[in-house]
Amino acid sequence: MKKVLCAILAGTLAACLLTGCGGSGSGNSGSSGGGSTTAAAGGETSGGGQVINIGINTDITSLDPHNHNDTASAYATRHIYSNLVRLTDDNEFVGDLAESWDYIDDVTVEFTLKEGVKFHDGSSLTSEDVKFSLESQKESPKVGHLVSMVESVEVVDDTHFIIHLNTPSNALVSSLNHSGCAIFSKAHVEKLLADGKKIEDEPMGTGPYKFDKWTPGASFSLIKNPDYFNPERMAQNDQLIFKVIPEDSARTIALENGELDLLINVPSTDAQKIRDNANLALDEYVSTHVEYFCVNHAKAPFDDVRVRQAMNYAINKDDIVIASMNGEASTFDNYIGAAAIGYYDVVTKYEYSPEKAKELLAEAGVADGFTFTCYVAGNTRATTATVIQANLAEFGITMNIEQMEASTFYEKTGNGEHDACLAGWVANAEPDNTYRPLFVSADTGAGGNRSYYKNAEVDKLVDDASVNRDKAAVQKDYETILKILSDEAVWTPLYSPTGMMGRNAKLQGVKPSPIQMHDFYSIHY
Amino acid sequence: MHKYVIKRLIMLIPVVIGVSFLVFFIMSLAPGDTARTILGEDAPMEAIEALNEELGLNDPLLIRYGRYMWDLAHGDLGTSYKSGRSVFSEVMSRFPDTLKLAFWGMIFAVVLSIPIGIISATKQYSLMDSVSMVLALLGVATPNFWLGLMLIIGFSLHLRWFPSGGSEGWKSLVLPVITLGTGCMANITRTTRSSMLEVIRQDYIRTAKAKGVGNRSVIYKHALKNALIPVVTVIGLQFGSLLGGAVLTETVFSWPGVGTYLVNSIKAKDTPAVLGCVIIFSICFSIVNLCVDILYAYIDPRIKSKYK
Amino acid sequence: MENKRAKKRSMAVEVWQRLVKNKMAMLGLAILVLLALCAIFADVIADYETKVVAQNIANRLKGPSAEHWFGTDEFGRDIFARMVHGSRVSLVVGLISVSVSLVAGGTLGAFAGFYGGGVDNVIMRVMDIFLAVPSILLAITIVAALGPNLVNVMLAIGISGTPGFARIVRAAVMSVKDQEFVEASRAIGASNATIIFREIIPNCLAPIIVQSTLSVASAILSTASLSFIGLGVQPPDPEWGAMLSSGRNFLRDAVHLTLFPGLAIVVTILALNLLGDGLRDALDPRLKQ
Repeated sequence: MKKVLCAILAGTLAACLLTGCGGSGSGNSGSSGGGSTTAAAGGETSGGGQVINIGINTDITSLDPHNHNDTASAYATRHIYSNLVRLTDDNEFVGDLAESWDYIDDVTVEFTLKEGVKFHDGSSLTSEDVKFSLESQKESPKVGHLVSMVESVEVVDDTHFIIHLNTPSNALVSSLNHSGCAIFSKAHVEKLLADGKKIEDEPMGTGPYKFDKWTPGASFSLIKNPDYFNPERMAQNDQLIFKVIPEDSARTIALENGELDLLINVPSTDAQKIRDNANLALDEYVSTHVEYFCVNHAKAPFDDVRVRQAMNYAINKDDIVIASMNGEASTFDNYIGAAAIGYYDVVTKYEYSPEKAKELLAEAGVADGFTFTCYVAGNTRATTATVIQANLAEFGITMNIEQMEASTFYEKTGNGEHDACLAGWVANAEPDNTYRPLFVSADTGAGGNRSYYKNAEVDKLVDDASVNRDKAAVQKDYETILKILSDEAVWTPLYSPTGMMGRNAKLQGVKPSPIQMHDFYSIHY
Repeated sequence: MHKYVIKRLIMLIPVVIGVSFLVFFIMSLAPGDTARTILGEDAPMEAIEALNEELGLNDPLLIRYGRYMWDLAHGDLGTSYKSGRSVFSEVMSRFPDTLKLAFWGMIFAVVLSIPIGIISATKQYSLMDSVSMVLALLGVATPNFWLGLMLIIGFSLHLRWFPSGGSEGWKSLVLPVITLGTGCMANITRTTRSSMLEVIRQDYIRTAKAKGVGNRSVIYKHALKNALIPVVTVIGLQFGSLLGGAVLTETVFSWPGVGTYLVNSIKAKDTPAVLGCVIIFSICFSIVNLCVDILYAYIDPRIKSKYK
Repeated sequence: MENKRAKKRSMAVEVWQRLVKNKMAMLGLAILVLLALCAIFADVIADYETKVVAQNIANRLKGPSAEHWFGTDEFGRDIFARMVHGSRVSLVVGLISVSVSLVAGGTLGAFAGFYGGGVDNVIMRVMDIFLAVPSILLAITIVAALGPNLVNVMLAIGISGTPGFARIVRAAVMSVKDQEFVEASRAIGASNATIIFREIIPNCLAPIIVQSTLSVASAILSTASLSFIGLGVQPPDPEWGAMLSSGRNFLRDAVHLTLFPGLAIVVTILALNLLGDGLRDALDPRLKQ
């Protein structure tokens, strides 16, 4: 009996203690020990190099570009891998791995690769790697849709290849810039798979950083690639350590006491504290993020345009910006973020006016109000809903709030169970990826069109804009769409959060991207 | 004794089956679009459908459960919907951190509670008794996430003694351990106190006192050992709630343990990940309880004889 | 029978007398009575429509003042008024969810203890399964599944508390079922149900009362914890945990948002624990001095 007892107890204790020791032993010497001195000194070095600690709010899901479609994972994979094209600060697409490309016709595009691009293992990039990457991407349930227009990739020689499309598409180039279209080394991936490993076990690309390590739930780290092919975009620091800190206030505190050099997701409550702190600086930028209140057009009385317009007049956006965002946002009237490609300032604006709202409600025959339920996911949107609830109560309208998890929200609104909901959208580099899911009738419900808005004219315009190679015509299409959407008061657009990054005041080279594809290679002290 | 341990370990099997059944069906009651949650707002419908197909989410509930149990019977906890990685390895990579937190949290609680409990018992109804009980009760009365935030503000932001989060080095352990540990102080203190009270009134203690053994010696040599038995049980039981409490503490301190993983998995409706966490939690809990029972036998020879 | 009733009454008096002597328990009781009064007269103290849910964004995050004793929240609502109404929610959640546990767990435990054998085995193994999942996890999963609202929160906390009651009641029933008075009533032909509910349950009230008091405390805490991770009461209804949760973003600028609801939780739970401990001492004659 004693033996068993000893074995079990010793086992349990040893497990506890070993992990205890293991954890405390790994406290790495170079990283922030905390304290005001660190914050003031900044850019502490470890092993002689510059280490930048970056705070983010969620962990990455995967280091395999084909196995994720989220911002945090892209922070890692965009820096480990390169794409054929990249987006400049002026919203232009330029070659990254690609030297140039030419449309031979609507469905045939010829690409030339840059010479001398090397993977982290020293091997050279060839057209075969591109063919392998894009064609295996088509199999991915997470990012395959980005290259659904690609029929095949034809290798001409080591640096030349042709992409054959199965349909004309304006989205090819912008898609190629997405983190999902990263270029792998064919030989490396095939070897990994043959060894029974996964791509994410040993991520390796042509990017400015090499993968160092990932501690799930805690942090991941990237190390400078000194052999990066583009000297202009060579890393100006030696290591990036991303620390995952989900709790808002804790994230800011970590920046304030020097545990972080850069904070990506600044909580709106703490923006002013960062501005007021002499050791810190706050970089603000216009994002492509829009928050909106959306009613279900399939349900009465929201099928009446006057009721929808009344909502636009009745909701006090200024109050929402203060209550939900502590003032760190701008009220918004448009249907796509101001920094996005495809944004045009042509919409009909509805100023807050209870009188007009009252008139319109009376015209629509609901002067005495009505009752409906609004679905929300997340705390900020719950706050917004609470303000809207109070706004609408003044018109005798009772809005019940039902808060739920995101997954439940998607399911219920996807099935059209909602009367109304609060949602947000961050546009990426391709306008079709915003206009199509949000406003096209084929995408009502789970596809993304949660207002159940159906308009054949809008459908036609979105289709035209996605294939028409005449830029002026595309602009005209989008302008017309925006005009229609706002005249019909499809949503009540509420606000666009101000993009914010907090940093050590001495840190330089921070380049925020409106679509959250921040580059970190240029950061240094 | 061997037989007893083996019997208890075999008893784990129905518990695991029951727990998996319970959680699987509760999870499937919940409406939730798993594929959309994983792929995000901007994924088109084709991608959502492709993922649903790949994850087998289009199959009927019983088939999914059957498939899960089949894998489980082969020792496979399945793969996470979200990351596509093995749930077992994901949970196990985080488990040591949670265990570390729970272990030191328990040590913290025990080191404080037992002396407080003894003092209260020996000075029953005195001011000391009241004060120490209120102190211990404050621990359980304070929501631990709130305490955690207060500690961060005090010791991390203002005093800068400890980091606000993360899991590097012993310094980052201090605040989460205090936060977690205070929560189970009350029960341990309370049990120590009442079981000390009971033991002190037993005849043999009276005899010892009558024989002129010093008060202090009576308490520490004779009473304590006997009073410890129920305390050990409570510690074992508290370990379970400690693991549960770790969920909130981990969130506040960005502690990369199973708790945060579990909460995120519940939110994403990642059923295999949730099941994996809960199953491992419950096995761990059961093993701790088993250890408690064995320890029990070790402390109290009367019980030991029962197992023979 | 008459004689036994009288005896019972005199026992209750005796317990009460012992309880009165315990100052800490009395303090707890006083606090709870005050809270109950707050909850009952909430509408008299502060009007729901104008004080509790009406917003005034211009007046947000103001510190305590003569007009707003505990300051205002992020919508400019009076925190004191919200706390008074919140006490209703907390007490109701606490009482109802514990009633759920008590009825479900008590019945199961009583049957298990009374019949023993196979019934006992089946019931207690099922309870073991519930016990194997840490209760807060069980509550989180249930609420996430059923959807976050007050009823589901009460149900979830009630269910997760059930096995605890089942165990305690079972143990208590087992300890009294072979005693003389049970034998006696069986002899006069009472049915099993009558014996369980008339004879056995009243005689194992002591541990049940203590466990109930303490469970109300943990139910209130669990509600707050659920609210903290966004699975609690729906806005605009006030609840202490939800107030704490939404105030935590303002912890550094406007600490009163979290301080007062936090203190309310602490004081309530402290009071329940003091009373529970006092009851335990008073009900257990062995601890008499």
